Amino acid sequence: MQLLRRHRLAQIEVRDTSKIYRIGDNVIRAVDRVSLNVNRGEFVSIIGHSGSGKTTLLSMIGGILRNSEGEVLYNGTDIYRLREDELSKYRAKKVGYIFQFASLLPVLTAKENLLLPTIFSKNGSKPGGKKAEEYLDMVGLKDKIHAYPSQLSGGQQRRVAIARSMMNDPELILGDEPTGDLDEETELQIMDLLGRVNRQNSVTIIFVTHNSELAGTASKQLKMSNGRLHEI
Amino acid sequence: MKYGLLHVAVKNLKRKAFRTAVLVVSIGLLVSILVFGASFLLSVSSTLEKAVNRLGADVLVVPTGARDYAEEVLLETKTKAFYMDRGIIDRVKNVEGVQDITYQTYMTTVFGLCCDIPPATVVSFNHDTDFIVNAWLDKSIGRKLKKNEAIIGFEAYDNLGLYDVSSSLLFGVKFDLVGVLDKTGTGLDNAIFMSDENIDEVISRGKAGLKPDTISVIFVKVKNGYDPLQVSRNIEGAIIEVDTIERNDMGKKIITSLTDIKNIFLITIILAFLLSAFLAWTVFSAIVNERSREVGIMKAMGARNSDIVIMFTLEILILGFLGSVLGILFGTYLSLSLSNFFSLLKDMAASLSITERVGIGLLGIVAGSGICMIGAFSSIIRLKNLEPFAVIKEA
Repeated sequence: MQLLRRHRLAQIEVRDTSKIYRIGDNVIRAVDRVSLNVNRGEFVSIIGHSGSGKTTLLSMIGGILRNSEGEVLYNGTDIYRLREDELSKYRAKKVGYIFQFASLLPVLTAKENLLLPTIFSKNGSKPGGKKAEEYLDMVGLKDKIHAYPSQLSGGQQRRVAIARSMMNDPELILGDEPTGDLDEETELQIMDLLGRVNRQNSVTIIFVTHNSELAGTASKQLKMSNGRLHEI
Repeated sequence: MKYGLLHVAVKNLKRKAFRTAVLVVSIGLLVSILVFGASFLLSVSSTLEKAVNRLGADVLVVPTGARDYAEEVLLETKTKAFYMDRGIIDRVKNVEGVQDITYQTYMTTVFGLCCDIPPATVVSFNHDTDFIVNAWLDKSIGRKLKKNEAIIGFEAYDNLGLYDVSSSLLFGVKFDLVGVLDKTGTGLDNAIFMSDENIDEVISRGKAGLKPDTISVIFVKVKNGYDPLQVSRNIEGAIIEVDTIERNDMGKKIITSLTDIKNIFLITIILAFLLSAFLAWTVFSAIVNERSREVGIMKAMGARNSDIVIMFTLEILILGFLGSVLGILFGTYLSLSLSNFFSLLKDMAASLSITERVGIGLLGIVAGSGICMIGAFSSIIRLKNLEPFAVIKEA
């Protein structure tokens, strides 16, 4: 009964999951038998040093890196048992991903970058253009709708990327160092923005960072070291 | 443009405008060679077929060894004189399967010696038996030629510069030039025509190099139900002094000589094809390296493998289409411009039907787009199979 209840509540359940790389005779466990439950609407931070395995874990949850062992369940379904097209659909409709680096397509304007995920989610009936403008307004870039990434600062690009991650109304936003390389003020703006999205839309947010102060802004804080996950 | 993969593809092509232009021009050159070659070969075949049809004979009878000369006069623009005994006409008439015959005698003008026009073929024909020139006369002047009258072939009018010339001295005899024939598409467009009532007088002046009672060629129509090839063999079997050319064999010499040109075209097209494919491969290999991270990001955002394939295929098809259109335009321009250098292609513009032109255009588009697809195939497969995490992490 308890198990069933837990299944009903946990949006994401990572069970004894590992990512193993074999380089010659060496076996590297980038993520080592990690288990994790995240409920809908939680705001989770994972802190850890570079190379601790936090990006690898986030990528496995985001459906862009297959695990070597264990299970990654989303609403009770192991995403790596899905067919390739179903996994793409999971990434398109359920997950918004904020990358560690500038991830905008250089040939597209800010608005076009926001619209890109809608092509893949086939949400053709929704008025994507208007929504993209609203989201750009929400991240304070209304006047940059037609700007190309090269015309935006690092912080502005990151805000566009955050707005893009929300375009398909995901239930889960994954942020890989979402404020990396940004100044303190922009960092606070972005964390505030993510906090608002989490509160207003009940969107689950998991972000990884090496900044303990930033990690403290989350309601649930986890630490990763040597591929193992610990609660703080 | 509606926002979608096509929009992204177009923007990606615009990103590297110079590289896109180089690839488009390269495909354009390949397609232009293809279009020019196809137009050339089709046009030659078409021109020959039309010329043979215009002559309206099933079998040609010429002096032994004069087959090539006859084809050169009738299908090309060369001036040749070749003769056989007039008595052969009656012998041909008696061959089984022969229905109608007519004959022509060809003479060559020499400026200043016999005639006051540059070198040209003068055709003497018989009004009573003729089934070739009479029809042309009906269309242009609506009557037969009288004695001491001549009419100019369509091309000869220009080539010989007979503008505003009302009479001419041919082989020592003064002829009134009564008009210009319509275009026939045969080599005889370069000739001047007179009726054979004038032959005796021409011979008597001694300036045509023509002996009495000689003719150049006999045109034969075969009876219904008879095979022209068989009749042709019958004639050769019955008359040792003649060779025959069956309707379907007319122009074969030209087509044979065109085979070399065709092979050169083919080799050039194959080389251009390989070069273009190599260029497309190089360009798209570079694109894989440049854009693998973007593809990784798109996959992380939910792009299916099919989305990636479609996006790059669209880029390829746009490149191929632009290159093809450029090639079709340039190839057609080249065909029309260079056609002046080939006598058989003077009518290239008119000799190709709409269907043939559309066919050549489609061939160009298929070749242009196909070459891009072949060149880019391995790159697309590599992009499709990229693991998003691996390429994002590498970046």
